Amino acid sequence: MRLGIRLVLLALAAGAWIAAAVLLWQSSVVPGGLHLSGADPRRYFTDRQLARTASFERFERWDFVLAQVTLVAVLVAYARYGGRFARESAAGRIGTGMLLGMLGFGFVWLAQIPFGLADLWWERRHGVSRTGYLGWIFRDWGQLAGEFAFVCLALLIVMALAGKLGERWWLPGAAAFVALGALFTFVQPYLMGPLHPLSSRRPRLAEAAHRIAVHEGVASVPVRVQNVSGETSAANAMAIGLGPSRRVVLWDTLLDGRFGERQVRFVIAHEYGHQARRHLPKGIAWYALFALPGTYLIARATRRRGGMADPAAVPLSLLVLVVLQLAGLPLQNVVSRRIETEADWMALRTTHDPVGDRRLMQSFTRTSLVEPDPPTWSYLLLDNHPTIMQRIALANAWAAQER
Amino acid sequence: MDNVLASVPARVVVTDDLHRSRLTVFFRLLLAIPHFIWLFLWTVAAIVAAILNWFATLVRGQPPQGLYGFLARFVRYATHVNAYLSLAANPYPAFNGDPGYPVDVELAPPARQNRLKVVFRIILAIPAIIVAEVFLGTGWNFVGGPSGRAYYQEGSKFSIAGGVVLGTVSFLAWFACLVRGRMPQGFRNVLAWGIGYLAQVAAYVLLLSERYPNLDAGATGVLGGQPPRPVRLRIEDDLRRSRVTVFFRLFLVVPHAVWLVLWGIAVVLAVIANWFATLALGRSPSALHRFISSYVRYQTHVYAFLGLVANPFPGFVGRPATYPIDLEIDPPERQHRLITLGRLPLAIPALLVDSAAASSLLFVTAFLGWFASLATGRMPTGFRNAGAWALRYGAQVNSYLYVLTDRYPYSGPESGEEPEAEAGTEPAPLAA
Repeated sequence: MRLGIRLVLLALAAGAWIAAAVLLWQSSVVPGGLHLSGADPRRYFTDRQLARTASFERFERWDFVLAQVTLVAVLVAYARYGGRFARESAAGRIGTGMLLGMLGFGFVWLAQIPFGLADLWWERRHGVSRTGYLGWIFRDWGQLAGEFAFVCLALLIVMALAGKLGERWWLPGAAAFVALGALFTFVQPYLMGPLHPLSSRRPRLAEAAHRIAVHEGVASVPVRVQNVSGETSAANAMAIGLGPSRRVVLWDTLLDGRFGERQVRFVIAHEYGHQARRHLPKGIAWYALFALPGTYLIARATRRRGGMADPAAVPLSLLVLVVLQLAGLPLQNVVSRRIETEADWMALRTTHDPVGDRRLMQSFTRTSLVEPDPPTWSYLLLDNHPTIMQRIALANAWAAQER
Repeated sequence: MDNVLASVPARVVVTDDLHRSRLTVFFRLLLAIPHFIWLFLWTVAAIVAAILNWFATLVRGQPPQGLYGFLARFVRYATHVNAYLSLAANPYPAFNGDPGYPVDVELAPPARQNRLKVVFRIILAIPAIIVAEVFLGTGWNFVGGPSGRAYYQEGSKFSIAGGVVLGTVSFLAWFACLVRGRMPQGFRNVLAWGIGYLAQVAAYVLLLSERYPNLDAGATGVLGGQPPRPVRLRIEDDLRRSRVTVFFRLFLVVPHAVWLVLWGIAVVLAVIANWFATLALGRSPSALHRFISSYVRYQTHVYAFLGLVANPFPGFVGRPATYPIDLEIDPPERQHRLITLGRLPLAIPALLVDSAAASSLLFVTAFLGWFASLATGRMPTGFRNAGAWALRYGAQVNSYLYVLTDRYPYSGPESGEEPEAEAGTEPAPLAA
């Protein structure tokens, strides 16, 4: 193909990518021009609380950074020497690729264990986690096996496509991964283990939740409770599923009395906000936008190893994938924070309760030791939610607008 | 051959002719009562002798002749009782442990022993004891000796309840002997294999020898080849193991486990169709036979990989001659319609042996072999061959159940190969 045509096609693709990204970005209902920075954390938190959360998160941050450095180092070594494990396979081209992919994943898992244990030790020390060390190592082996299976499925798709299409596998490959992502989002509620109806635990709260759902136009989406209090004291909630599988899930730690009813109602409204604004399908769309250049770059990077049709390229592809994910993390966090801000805004519109929101944020800081105003580098690299102070500022901005 | 035998602490010598007296088989447990009593008394004495032998061997570097002779006779007598009780032999055994019983044991003569190995003998014996437990299972007093007291705490000293392998096979053999008046050769040889291994463990623990027990059927004294069968296991494995793939073995099997289940759904339908077709035509249709054979072969490859019987990551289609532990399945042959009609109930005894005995042994050898392979980069021959026995028997059972053949599975462990001698072992005659 001539260079000129290539450039035109590239420009068209880039234009389409940017147009789609802008369209998704601008679909938010949060008004522009809100000023969410500069609020003083000492107005809402004591010095002791601020010191404690800063100390807690500093360790977690550096643990994460060291874990990522180790991860990349392990994968660099594996990219260089991992190909030799191909001789341990009698499984043909794709099977050998699967073996190499799983071994790489296994090395990564092993290398991450010390950092996970350090993190657990820190959380236990601060009363955030109740999981035992051995329990932590062995508890998620089912999930780990699922991840191994997913690695194999991904390599099966990529290597089969690369075998048929050569270097052009990346385009249908990206589509296949997006389809898989959508499928996983759809089935996730059925893979989470037992989820209990909110009405069986807190009937009054369940009625309030239903009113919120009606107000936000998602009356058919139920609220479920997941039991996690045996493992952690941290509180959380999430919106999951697609179409008929949509759910709002509350951890039972939210209902243990540390959070007032107004605060829990705000959490529910926030999660319903995700469902009402169709954040999960939009998340898949964002994933598609990142997957396209991602698969293209993997195809390019593995070219010198024979491309993804050759099992020898698999170790290198793992390294490229992880590096791309790390490099793309700040951008993904920008998108994620915008989505979370919109969910907060929806909750404020539904509950008309900025005070409840602020108290909720204060409770999160107290129970989960979330630092209200983290360092900028940490915010950019690690935070996929707005900071606590930004969320309080949003509540203030909403209240000011209402006045 | 001497070199081979010099590398194990004991071996069984089988001169049994498979003939069984229905009457003594029927009353076997009751007839054995005097032996239980005598074994108990002998065991009490043997406990004392074993303790004395431990001190004496530690001091002298070699067991004293008198203690050695007493304990060797005790092991031999216990072997005779085990063989009689499990139906591996027919005649009523003597009470003095004299040689000449149809399932007898030969023991290595007294020799110098490494004192460090003597001090830690019980600890060193733990893997062998775990395997012995699979042969005997909880509730079986394997030789009734002091070593038995030490290991099988959960069982009554005189318990006659069967172990996992010996118990299952003996239970089924009891019915077979009553009906036919003969012991099936496969069953007898499995029992001799287990009894031989137990004698090795006893000899090792009682300090009669410092040679480590070897699970290989040939090394225990069960020699000879497999009778012709339409489903055969071909072993081309070199025992080398990649430590990395051994370490992650459980996770590496995940995609195969998923694929086994998915393919298995189609195979269930194919087996039903094959049953009807074979009943009508008198032989399995080629296409169905090929499809199901590929699945059985694939299953064998995957289990071989999981059980560390083979090293490389297997392919996903069960192609023949692509894996070091491979299954040879003959093309479709005529099958007896009556056997086809009653295939499921007829398969129950084989399924029992497969699920209770062979699978347990495969699990234990894989578990222990995992540590051994990680440490040495090699799978011990005995473990590999025991695992291969389990795979071969399992494949024959499945082929029978899936109507690929009407030849009943053969449970005997004989491999037809000379067992490998350990490097650096000096040849020595077996005596005592």
